[in-house]
Amino acid sequence: MENKISVRQICFIMLMYTAVSKLILYPTVLSYESGRDLLFSALLDFAVQGVIIWAVSFLCSRTDKTFFGLIESTFGNIFARVIYGLFALFFIICAVIPFMEQKLYVHSIFYDTLPSLPLFLSVMFFTVYAACKGFRNIGRCADICLPIFAISIIFIFSMSVGEADWSNFLPVMKTPPAKVFSASLATVFRFFEPCWLLMFMGHFKYGKGDAAKITLSYVVGALIVMLFLALFYGVYGDIACSRQFAIAKISLFFPAIDLVGRIDLIALYALEIVMLFAMVINVQMCVHCFVKCTGYENRAVWSVAVNGVLVILLLTLNTKFNAVYNVWAKWMWIVFIIFANIIPLLAWALKKGGRKEEAK
Amino acid sequence: MNILQKNIKSVKDVLTSQDILVFEFDSLNGKRFAAIYADGIADKQLLGELVVKPLRSAAQDIKLDAVKRLLASPEVKDGKEISDAIKEVSDGNAVLFVDGEKDFIIIGLKNPPGRTVAEPPTQIAVKGPREGFTEDIKTNLGLVRKRLKSDKLKIKMLKTGKKSETAVAMIYIDGVCADGLPERIEKQIASNEIDIVPDSSYVAKFISKKPRSLFKRNGTAEKPDIFCAKVCEGRVGLIVDGSPIALTVPYMVTEDLQSSEDYYALTYRSTIVRILRVLSLLVGILLPALYVSAQLFKIQLIPFQLLLKISSSVSGLPLSPSIEMFLTLFILEVLIEASIRMPNYVVLAMSVVGALVLGDTAVKAGIISTPAIIIIAFSAICLYTTPDLVETTTTLRWIFLILAGSIGPFAVVAFSAFILCYLVTEQSYGVPLMAPFAPLIKNDLYDSMVKANLYKLKNRPQAFKAKDRVRLKTGVNNGK
Amino acid sequence: MNGKIKKYSPVIYWVLIIALLCLFFTNDFGILDLHKTSLIVAVGIDSAGDEVEVTAQVAVPQPSQSGDSIKYIEVQGSGQTVADALNEINAKTGTYPRLLFCKLILLGENCQSEELFRMLGCFYRRNYSELTALVAMCKGKAQDMLSLPATIAPENATAIQKVLSEELKRSANVSTSTLRSIAVSNYSESRACYMPYVEAYVQGTSEPGGNGDNVGGDPGQQGGQQGGGQSGGSSQQGGQGGQGGQGGEGGGSSGQSGGSSQQGEMEFTARKTAVFADGRFAGILDERQSFALNIIENEIRLAVAQCEADGVHYTVGLRKADGGIKLKVKDGAPELTVNFKAAAQVQGAKKVLDPHNVKTDDVVRPEVLRAAEEEMKTRFERLMSACVENNCDVLGIRKLLHKQHYKYYEAFKEDILSRMTVRYDIKIESMN
Repeated sequence: MENKISVRQICFIMLMYTAVSKLILYPTVLSYESGRDLLFSALLDFAVQGVIIWAVSFLCSRTDKTFFGLIESTFGNIFARVIYGLFALFFIICAVIPFMEQKLYVHSIFYDTLPSLPLFLSVMFFTVYAACKGFRNIGRCADICLPIFAISIIFIFSMSVGEADWSNFLPVMKTPPAKVFSASLATVFRFFEPCWLLMFMGHFKYGKGDAAKITLSYVVGALIVMLFLALFYGVYGDIACSRQFAIAKISLFFPAIDLVGRIDLIALYALEIVMLFAMVINVQMCVHCFVKCTGYENRAVWSVAVNGVLVILLLTLNTKFNAVYNVWAKWMWIVFIIFANIIPLLAWALKKGGRKEEAK
Repeated sequence: MNILQKNIKSVKDVLTSQDILVFEFDSLNGKRFAAIYADGIADKQLLGELVVKPLRSAAQDIKLDAVKRLLASPEVKDGKEISDAIKEVSDGNAVLFVDGEKDFIIIGLKNPPGRTVAEPPTQIAVKGPREGFTEDIKTNLGLVRKRLKSDKLKIKMLKTGKKSETAVAMIYIDGVCADGLPERIEKQIASNEIDIVPDSSYVAKFISKKPRSLFKRNGTAEKPDIFCAKVCEGRVGLIVDGSPIALTVPYMVTEDLQSSEDYYALTYRSTIVRILRVLSLLVGILLPALYVSAQLFKIQLIPFQLLLKISSSVSGLPLSPSIEMFLTLFILEVLIEASIRMPNYVVLAMSVVGALVLGDTAVKAGIISTPAIIIIAFSAICLYTTPDLVETTTTLRWIFLILAGSIGPFAVVAFSAFILCYLVTEQSYGVPLMAPFAPLIKNDLYDSMVKANLYKLKNRPQAFKAKDRVRLKTGVNNGK
Repeated sequence: MNGKIKKYSPVIYWVLIIALLCLFFTNDFGILDLHKTSLIVAVGIDSAGDEVEVTAQVAVPQPSQSGDSIKYIEVQGSGQTVADALNEINAKTGTYPRLLFCKLILLGENCQSEELFRMLGCFYRRNYSELTALVAMCKGKAQDMLSLPATIAPENATAIQKVLSEELKRSANVSTSTLRSIAVSNYSESRACYMPYVEAYVQGTSEPGGNGDNVGGDPGQQGGQQGGGQSGGSSQQGGQGGQGGQGGEGGGSSGQSGGSSQQGEMEFTARKTAVFADGRFAGILDERQSFALNIIENEIRLAVAQCEADGVHYTVGLRKADGGIKLKVKDGAPELTVNFKAAAQVQGAKKVLDPHNVKTDDVVRPEVLRAAEEEMKTRFERLMSACVENNCDVLGIRKLLHKQHYKYYEAFKEDILSRMTVRYDIKIESMN
């Protein structure tokens, strides 16, 4: 019961968390790497991930088993535990950049001062609590976040759309393809949604057409990101690569801001709630993997442990964001491709065992 | 000593208080009777009219059955054990002993002092019924019965409190209420042993799985129309003797954002008012915190022209923004607390002291700034748009203020996320507190933030898992 | 474990509450104290040889119950870079100067000799300022301009912002620019940008007609005479007109500004435009050239132009004004078309209105329409010639070439301004 989630909630997660986790530094980096062809780099990444999302969700229609169950039935319990252990480590790796990025973003939009790290670390009370919860909580949080996300993103988009100069994207496709491709590769560490779906596998009741629904949700999330990228580049043009924390920058030129002040901050703060849930989902997945890997069911202990590791990483790497980012962009893509792309596809090769409903 | 005196002595030996009165009288034919009752809670006039007067004609050799037939009271039953007699007398009924008879008659004369049915002060309606519950459980049950005449209405009487033995009426509609829910509640109430249950809030804690939580797990109703509507949706209602506040379970947070008037007023108006309540709630909780964090950490939150005005107002104040707001809020809480507790004749004087001395003079003396007073006053007004949540929201306001003053606006956002995360997990008897938003229940959304028209509300809330889901069958042209 | 957590949870709660209260009452996580924060509303930048002088106009709230008492002061700082100068201001004001509310950046005339982004670079690098601030160049020193008393607002930063407003921009009277538009334009293929040029006049002594474009007159002479009459004040502001070959008009204006003593209250105008190419000052567009630039660059709701027909001076209102440029490459040769369409309405004429013609006066006579078209064409021509002369692509023609005719970009990018032929397609019709 604790780990049950509905297809609707998975769709919301795919739509919303996919989008919010790519609104801070992703547009800036893509603008830097691909210039006016940043949409193609993003499209490449989203297309690949979309196919994998479809493959995993379609796999769910073939079996009632969880991913753990699939591995277990094919290779045995020990192997399944090892794989889940590796996934737990992978989710920690996934969480590092979002946490560091959030720290910088929070310091930038929540404080006019030069705040210290402990201010951000106060969020750990939330992450420790949230990570104790199972998939049911993740799903319900997604339910409650969707209206917040929808209202705030529409608010921000509508404030910025009037300032966008769409001709900034001309001439189209003049950036060398190799550069577009390398930009996609350098940002691939931001795409781990198929792993979430892999973990959700077997924890929701698959109905007819659900694979399409999940994939479509992901596509909508991708479209939101693409629209945002377009707006961002439309507003800033060639200087987009120097504008960090994109989501906080695109609505600044809305005429009413001169009169009523930074009303966009209200939407940004509301969106931050969704961003926090999106940030913590990797930690929740990590705890889930550790529980399955070790068989030790006490999530609170795992939550404290995983968050403790993250705190240590944040403290150690506090001033080394650029270095960490470079390592992730240049070297870690291979890890992400293995865990988020290859393993989900390989799951098709595991013994599926069919679905109970079909059997009936 | 004859049997009559023996019986009287048995009772008086246990009930030694002086308010336990014994009235001995003879019939015209010389038959002796003794009525024992508790002074103050038994109706003496009825005793004379319904018991003493008819028995004047009783024969010398009359038996207990014949005495029962002579009595004019509609509420009469036999008693055998002295312990039952003691219980009934304590409960406010009278016990009639007959000379020569070991058994006795219990006569329902209970009439404890109480107020009449009136409009409750916290749930005033401009449109709609004005009757409110009283402290008397019988009156309250009558008010419910008046509205729900169905044979499916079930009322189960329970007792709680070792010493008080307070009556609790569990009310539900058979076939509507979810299976097993009344039994679970009954078990939960029975599992608690306490000396006295003076109010329904005690029962609220008994039935809550997390009594220490900041967020309650039961709804409340002070008006029978609201109570009956909730019971008809599939909830179980609890009326506690001595309390004018009835409880309903399961509970969803959205129900405290609704008022009975929403159902009687125009749909559009009701929707606007509900949205207004939600916004007021957010403003009431967050405004002081955001004001403090804006001043301390993020001045961009304040529009420039307003910032200049605020800067002017706070310039030269001896207190930091956080302490200033803390102090202002503290004064407000003290004023509210005092105005509730103090006698009416002092209220006027205290209002003057509160408004002039603490408000105006403090500003003039340069201790507190005008914006701080405006913000706290507005916050207080906002929170009272949802009076049922005031205990929770005022506490949250303190927590947010302290977080904002120490960590800044990020703490406000992070704690909001924490609360959301907590609320979506919590349940009240299997019903998620945040339903119909989390989990999203499409049909129930018609009566949540939005109040759809009556014809849209054909089904009972899905969240309650009612057995009979349909509550409205429209006619040929209705609802088109 | 869960049991232990439950057992100790009250203790944990209390520890948290006490810790938070301690933080609340004693916190120092880098809070900013509004009592001590400098609210910088405008920044003036002047070049002084190797050094940069920065003047910050600071709003200093005065204690007041009604909250309407604000004093504005100017604080100066200098250094090798703008950041150095801001640090000095910090040292003088006691707090880190915040540029969050800085809505105006004024470059002094002496910045013309400097690389533009040496002056403005700081605002792009610093995380503390947004790119929404208006940027303008002023006649004379920015420091002097910011310290002049203004007529239409309590402090001159607001007064200057009023003459750079969106409304004026929509009437083609000012080429409003922000930090963003300047950077976007400068870092595009055009490598050029523009900003309004602010001048100050002593109240009541500005050129007659206020918004007149002086088509028929000799404004330079006029201005010079008036300015001369009032001169004697700030010598730094005088005698620096005529930049970029603007001749009489510039000289006239400078005469007036030169006369702007700091005794009387000042009025500001920003109808001229400073243009930059490759990050360096390239000249000043006069009012008519600026008008033409604004027509092409901005969305105009109502512009006012003057023309002369049959010896009568007309003031014509141009509604639905739609201006723009189109670039074509025909037979390997670039051709630029300047389009302008508008509906005209006579707003004023230097003649007595015949009562019998009141009904038909709204209909603009063809001669007036032709004269207005001719006037507009002249303005566009003057703008184009200024661009070509200074090799300053403020209209973004190179950018257009890059976007729309990418294959010719490499071939034409250096000399497109001189190589292209320009065609004018101007059509003004009567509104009624």
